[in-house]
Amino acid sequence: MSRHSEEVLLHFQHVKNKKVDGVLYMMSERLAWMQSSKQSFTYSHAYSDIKAQKISADSKERVQLQLVMHDGSANTFQFNNPAGREAQMRDRESVKELLQQLLPKFRRKLSSELEEKSRLLQDNPELFQLYKDLVVSQVITAEEFWSTQGPKYSAKEKNEQKQTTGVSAAFLADIKPETDGCNGLKYNLTADIIESIFRTYPMVKKKHAEYVPHEMSESDFWRRFFQSHYFHRDRTALGNKDLFSDCAKKDEEEIKSEVEKKNSDPLLNLAGHKDGNLEEGYGGVNDDKRGSITPANLTMIRRFNQHSTMVLKACQEAGSQSTSGTSTSNGTHINGSMSKTSQLNGIVDNVHQPPQKKARIREKLQYEDLETGLDKDGVNLHLSRMERYLHGPTPLTSTRYTSTEDLISATNCVSAEIDTWNPDLTHVLHGSTAVSILGELSPGGALMQGTSQQLLNQMVPEDIQNELKQNYNALCELLRHFWSCFPASSKFLEEKVVKMKSTLERFNMAKLNPLKDKLQANHYSLDLTGHMQDLLSTAYTKFDTWQTRRMSRKT
Amino acid sequence: MADSTSTCSLVVIILDTNPAWWGRQSNHGNPKLSLSKCVDSLMTFANSHLMMNHLNKIAFIAAHSNFSHFMYPKRQQREVTDIDTNIGEINDGKYELFDRMNNQIKDEIKSLVLKNMEVEFENDSLIAGALSMALCYIHRMEKEKPIGVKMTSRVLVVKASEDNPAQYMNLMNTVFTAQKQNVVIDACILDNDSGLLQQACDITGGVYLKIPQPQGMLQYLLWVYLPDPSTREQLTLPARVQVDYRAACFCHRNLIDIGYVCSVCLSIFCSFSPICSTCQTTFKIIAPPKLTKKKSKKPTT
Ligand SMILES: [Zn+2]
Ligand SMILES: [Zn+2]
Repeated sequence: MSRHSEEVLLHFQHVKNKKVDGVLYMMSERLAWMQSSKQSFTYSHAYSDIKAQKISADSKERVQLQLVMHDGSANTFQFNNPAGREAQMRDRESVKELLQQLLPKFRRKLSSELEEKSRLLQDNPELFQLYKDLVVSQVITAEEFWSTQGPKYSAKEKNEQKQTTGVSAAFLADIKPETDGCNGLKYNLTADIIESIFRTYPMVKKKHAEYVPHEMSESDFWRRFFQSHYFHRDRTALGNKDLFSDCAKKDEEEIKSEVEKKNSDPLLNLAGHKDGNLEEGYGGVNDDKRGSITPANLTMIRRFNQHSTMVLKACQEAGSQSTSGTSTSNGTHINGSMSKTSQLNGIVDNVHQPPQKKARIREKLQYEDLETGLDKDGVNLHLSRMERYLHGPTPLTSTRYTSTEDLISATNCVSAEIDTWNPDLTHVLHGSTAVSILGELSPGGALMQGTSQQLLNQMVPEDIQNELKQNYNALCELLRHFWSCFPASSKFLEEKVVKMKSTLERFNMAKLNPLKDKLQANHYSLDLTGHMQDLLSTAYTKFDTWQTRRMSRKT
Repeated sequence: MADSTSTCSLVVIILDTNPAWWGRQSNHGNPKLSLSKCVDSLMTFANSHLMMNHLNKIAFIAAHSNFSHFMYPKRQQREVTDIDTNIGEINDGKYELFDRMNNQIKDEIKSLVLKNMEVEFENDSLIAGALSMALCYIHRMEKEKPIGVKMTSRVLVVKASEDNPAQYMNLMNTVFTAQKQNVVIDACILDNDSGLLQQACDITGGVYLKIPQPQGMLQYLLWVYLPDPSTREQLTLPARVQVDYRAACFCHRNLIDIGYVCSVCLSIFCSFSPICSTCQTTFKIIAPPKLTKKKSKKPTT
């Protein structure tokens, strides 16, 4: 055990877990907690297992720290220093800071691949069952399993995750500043928020690159940013001394250009928008209630608009970036068309409006698939055997009545019979015949075979059905491995065939035979495993022929 | 009982009247069932059906060896026959509708058999043609029915002669049409099992039954085919036959489990060929490697 050689970075007394007092240790590679009365760790979390830490709000009575693991579980520790709340907070802060430093290091260490695999298994119960059947029971190695299953699933996942997420419009409002007690505010900026700010305000990103860390520290930069952001929120005149003043200028230009960009869409009437409400019963309120349009309010609204514009733009840019990156996926197609339309808008600004207007209206009114004359010249169907195409397999002419004599006598017979026929509907059926037919048609009769027979899925209980399904799944997977080796053109494949053969035999012994015995013990009249055995014997035969041929070639 | 007054049921009976089969039956001595007896049974069945509900309707089509003939009801001659029956047999106490129908069917059968003596006969009957006729008639009746009346329609095929594979496509097309129009196809088989009708009944949800004792045909008709499909669910009737849906390959007419289908004309082949022999389409796929060509069959997993 390497436990003793580990370096203890920090340790705190009076840390409660599940209402039991104990000691929290922070070591070089893990965080552990020991109950006061015991000599061994009750909990030990490797840093690489920890996904995130959460701390309780300051308003809460208890000072707590929660660790969220990668597998979704969580563990909460309460700091209970008898020296008072301040000491408790201090303890927690130091744990938090240390964790903040340590976690990113270990996160990189954690094999993302492994995490991906475990997630795949969790998300796909069938895959997990297959994994249990094949890998855990050591029929095939985990490596082989993932080499075939992995790409199938991960490819599927990747396709689904190709969409770029936009920026939340409320990302700045969502940063809840905390008061630090002495008339100041404290912002907790996460990487996500910073990313959002950069994407929304490219100028800030540029500034950040310019100033950090050459001229000021990271925190200093953000402090100034927030000061300036709030400082400017309802200011119209701009000073020059501020670091972000030219940012604000740039914003101003931006908004001007946005305003100047004529709205080219004839279907949108922005000027027609009113700040009115719909009354109950959906009657429109006509009178404009905006009584207090102060310049301050206008600035505020303008800032909101500018913010929204930036947020939307951030999204658009991300889209066009991914198109220019020439990645080929389905998702970019849509983005491509999007950037095309924005280009279109750009061009139109220079040209006269009317044709653009027309085009826009046409776009809305005309549907490609309703237009005539879109027929493409298809390939002509060239039928060399028309009758086959029309009738399917050409029939064999039946040969039972080839002699015309036979036919003639048959028809004569019928016509003679019909000629003298007079319907006698009261003597159609004899009583005795009717009774014997009723016997046929009653339960147990000759024609009623199979009606009382239960359906297979009612006969076999569900757990056996499930077991059969699992075995089928596993066997098919193995057989797929086996058959994929043919033609065995390389040394590797040849080896794999031999290995798969023995694997199949092992499966037969370890899984199929017990199942067969079990089914036999239950006295099912049906041979439920017969098909699986057929599958196996087909594979065995294939293997034998392959092997004999290989042997004969060698000698 | 509002239900029973507003719903009616139309049964179209298709009788295989191929003289070759019926004639051979009586030729070989000890006839199980003659054509006349069979028609008698069907008439009784038709009368019973009409008795079930006064709105019920019946139609009668003969599938002859080389044409199909609509026997009842007949529009053009209705008035003539009406007068005939009125004069001839008005006093024997029979229900006029039954009497009229029975007489008309009798006349039609007689003229059908006796007038077509000179025509060359085939060994099979035009079941597909008769089925299309039945569907057309059902369609017309659907359109002509009075408002508020719900009509369920089914077709009863009474078949004796062999299947003709040449009718396969036509028959299948009519069967799928029937399925779309919610028309149930029942089959009462007197002699040769019919793979085509098995499929037809299976697809439309009808009863397929090869009757072991043709001389007691009426009993089967009344027991199995008289109840309409909704009633049948509550009865214990003979089990559905397992239908063999395997397709035959176009090249050898063998029934195959796994085959190759031309993506252009849908021809089915038992072995791979780079050019479709029906439509000359060239397939630009990599054929299975030559070494394993013989045994390229994959296990049915
Ligand atoms: Zn063939
Ligand atoms: Zn073809």
